[in-house]
Amino acid sequence: MSDPIIRFDDVTFTYAATDEPALHSISLDIQAGEYVAILGLNGAGKTTLGLCVNGVIPTMLGGNLEGKVTVAGLDVSEYPVREMAKIVGMVFDNPEFQMSQMSVAEEVALGLENAGVPYEDMKRIIPETLELVGLAGFEERSPLGLSGGQQQRLAIAAVLAMQPQVLIMDEPTSNLDPIGKQEVFDMAAKLNRERGMTVIVIEHEVEVMARYADRVIVLDSGRVVMNGTPQEIFSQVDALGELKLRVPEAARLAQLLAKQELWSGPVPIRTESAVEAVNELLGAHNV
Amino acid sequence: MSMQMALPIAMIPGNSVIHRINPLAKIVWVVGYIALAFSTQNVFLLYGMALFAFLLAPIAGVTKPLLKGALILVPVASSLLAIQIIAPAVEKPWTHVADIGVLQLYGDGLYYGFVLLGRVVSCLLMALIMVMTTHPSDLFTSLSKLKIPYAFNFMLAMTLQLIPVFQREVGIIMSAQKSRGMKGRGFAAVLPSFVPVFVGAIERVQQLSISLESRGFGSNGFKTSYRQVKVRPSDWVIGIIGALLLATLVTVSIMRGLWSVSSLVVFPHIFVFWLFIVAAGTFAAIILATLIYAFKK
Amino acid sequence: MSNSATATQGVTGQPRASERAVDIRDAHYVYPTGNVVALGGVDLRVEHGEILGIIGQNGSGKTTLTKLFNGLLKPTSGKILINGIDTSTQTVQQMAAHVGYVFQNPNHQLFARSIEEELKFGPRNIGVPEDELDERVAQAVEFFGLKDYIAEHPYRVSFPIRKLVGIASIVTMRPSILIFDEPSTGQDHNTTHIINGLMRRLRDEGTTVICVSHDMPLLADVVKRVIVMKDTRIIADASPREVFADKALMARTNLQAPQITEIALNTVVPRGGHVALTPEELAADISTRIRGTAVTPSSTAR
Repeated sequence: MSDPIIRFDDVTFTYAATDEPALHSISLDIQAGEYVAILGLNGAGKTTLGLCVNGVIPTMLGGNLEGKVTVAGLDVSEYPVREMAKIVGMVFDNPEFQMSQMSVAEEVALGLENAGVPYEDMKRIIPETLELVGLAGFEERSPLGLSGGQQQRLAIAAVLAMQPQVLIMDEPTSNLDPIGKQEVFDMAAKLNRERGMTVIVIEHEVEVMARYADRVIVLDSGRVVMNGTPQEIFSQVDALGELKLRVPEAARLAQLLAKQELWSGPVPIRTESAVEAVNELLGAHNV
Repeated sequence: MSMQMALPIAMIPGNSVIHRINPLAKIVWVVGYIALAFSTQNVFLLYGMALFAFLLAPIAGVTKPLLKGALILVPVASSLLAIQIIAPAVEKPWTHVADIGVLQLYGDGLYYGFVLLGRVVSCLLMALIMVMTTHPSDLFTSLSKLKIPYAFNFMLAMTLQLIPVFQREVGIIMSAQKSRGMKGRGFAAVLPSFVPVFVGAIERVQQLSISLESRGFGSNGFKTSYRQVKVRPSDWVIGIIGALLLATLVTVSIMRGLWSVSSLVVFPHIFVFWLFIVAAGTFAAIILATLIYAFKK
Repeated sequence: MSNSATATQGVTGQPRASERAVDIRDAHYVYPTGNVVALGGVDLRVEHGEILGIIGQNGSGKTTLTKLFNGLLKPTSGKILINGIDTSTQTVQQMAAHVGYVFQNPNHQLFARSIEEELKFGPRNIGVPEDELDERVAQAVEFFGLKDYIAEHPYRVSFPIRKLVGIASIVTMRPSILIFDEPSTGQDHNTTHIINGLMRRLRDEGTTVICVSHDMPLLADVVKRVIVMKDTRIIADASPREVFADKALMARTNLQAPQITEIALNTVVPRGGHVALTPEELAADISTRIRGTAVTPSSTAR
């Protein structure tokens, strides 16, 4: 396997003015092109982990960082955030807090302008990026007049314009309605599959992550306590329950049936596999 | 519910001749208007300027919003004129024209009142025309061409952007507090909502600064601009004509000692009397309506 | 959490038994700016002690509807009767004694110097005597498990605790109707689980609970009745079972039933089984089919 695009090497981070580390000796490799879900309770260190990847920690937010975060071969602590922006794009839960411009096109242009991209190139990149997030034709609209889902896709477009290799989304849909959620996750999946973009999503909705993620990392009090495929992680219904985390309802069903010795196969985590397995089970008993 | 709160003064999209004029040429006119308005006391000139600005509205297709924006002038005009009639801002002796109860009316201050009003009206109308026909981004791009620092421009633009957002936030917070049975009106009632507004603003600014930094905002290097504001020959013509014309009028006006024509304008007593009734009545009605509205809420 | 005996004595309000909790007749609402229709004729009756959810996409009229309940908005036409009282004759402050409204973001709601003051603010406004305030606060602190935080500033506690304080600050007013706007937004599963429990307990004590949410598993777990809104109107009003089983309805509103319901719909339901709302229900159903006996749910924790 080639070098990982993101590597955490025994990273411990403590925010200024606090005693308790927000991240505890984290060692982690993420390969290029992976779709990674990060789960954990509020305060488990998920956002902090994301901010370490795009360099906001330690360059913008002060604190004590031990260990080393390497992204695309670069030591994050040695580059300003604006340099890292060309490698890592990060969006947050409230899209409106990320809007600063009068029009959609200018919102996307901002990063390019700051990087000194010539006008002729911007004229090509902006419509391409908006097309990618499904906002073609919205160029002249005011960002504040868009729906929540559109705003979040615009926030994503604004970082995508810099053509990063990694996209981090911190609870990107917590303020959106079901349509908006769908729009954002469909788009992220497309970027991951068609463009090979590395996607890291911090998310509470386990059913959604079971569908999209290649890997699930579970944080608890600043430590990585689980790290594996969705299948491996979500099968551990009791362990996740102890961490006060949800599992997909499909997995919970299998666990309840297993306790009754009615289930012995693999634990389904997606709707389709659960439907198939349950129908097989019922069929085997002729009901 | 994503209700878009419209600012009373905002750009009205369009593609009229006025819309297409370069923002800098428009700035020349607005600045010229201000300079001229405050260096003359010639009412004919002042109201001529106002009329000219007003005539641009139908060309730009912004007559209705312009009138809406100009509504702010009604309380200003009515209070200003009414006060000038009862307490002229000129030296005594005053000529007494009529009595209403204990109030004594004078005509002496009226000319000066009309001058003040003319200044406000002409400048406001021209400024509104500019704001309503210019995309804010084009304006800011143009300003940065004048070597006004990027960060300053950006702050100005952000402030404009954030006004409706904060209006909405304050609305939500006030609703939340009313829902908890909050009593009281006016400032005392608004005060507690400052805490959440402030906390919300800090959170917003923090996230925004991270988001902006991640898009290279802090870099000092070479920057480009996506907005390309064209300067056409016609823009030069409009700008130069504006600058020359207005500068000439400023010079003439100053050379003539502010060009007051008060001696040419005579206000009959009956005119002063009725003007006072209308102005004072309008102002009183506005105050009353505001009070009733506030009380009902 | 306290035992339910103390709680029944009155953490919540005293409904007037003779009147309906909510009686809305042909309510229309048009936003004054821009003539945007937000509600296009809504009829809704809610009895005391019901627990119901309102679902629909943003802009479907959910928030407008709930704001009519406590008089934050007055209908453009139609009538809103809350506990028999016509909201158009009342101020929001007067309605606050009847209807509690828990805003989505606690940051919009809290501003006092301490959590204790925060809990006293609402009841004090509606004229609860000072000596009774302490008692109400003590009960709420017990009910919400806020003992360790009582003297803290509301902004110094963690977000999940702040959310609970936001709810508690309304509950101390003992309204007979309690509205939750997106209670699980931005909360992890643990906090959502706690809030679910709170809503259920409040209902058990007689409070009418109305929950606006996009969180289908939460609603499946808690509410007994679901109102579906689309394009400013109510288009369905039924049990969560019926609503989530209606594939056409879910598709039309772009909503998605909980995963477990979808599994049930594609497995046991075609065989004559029940529409399950929780994994426990579906497991019991499957077990009965195979063995003829139900699975005893071994634990309720999920």
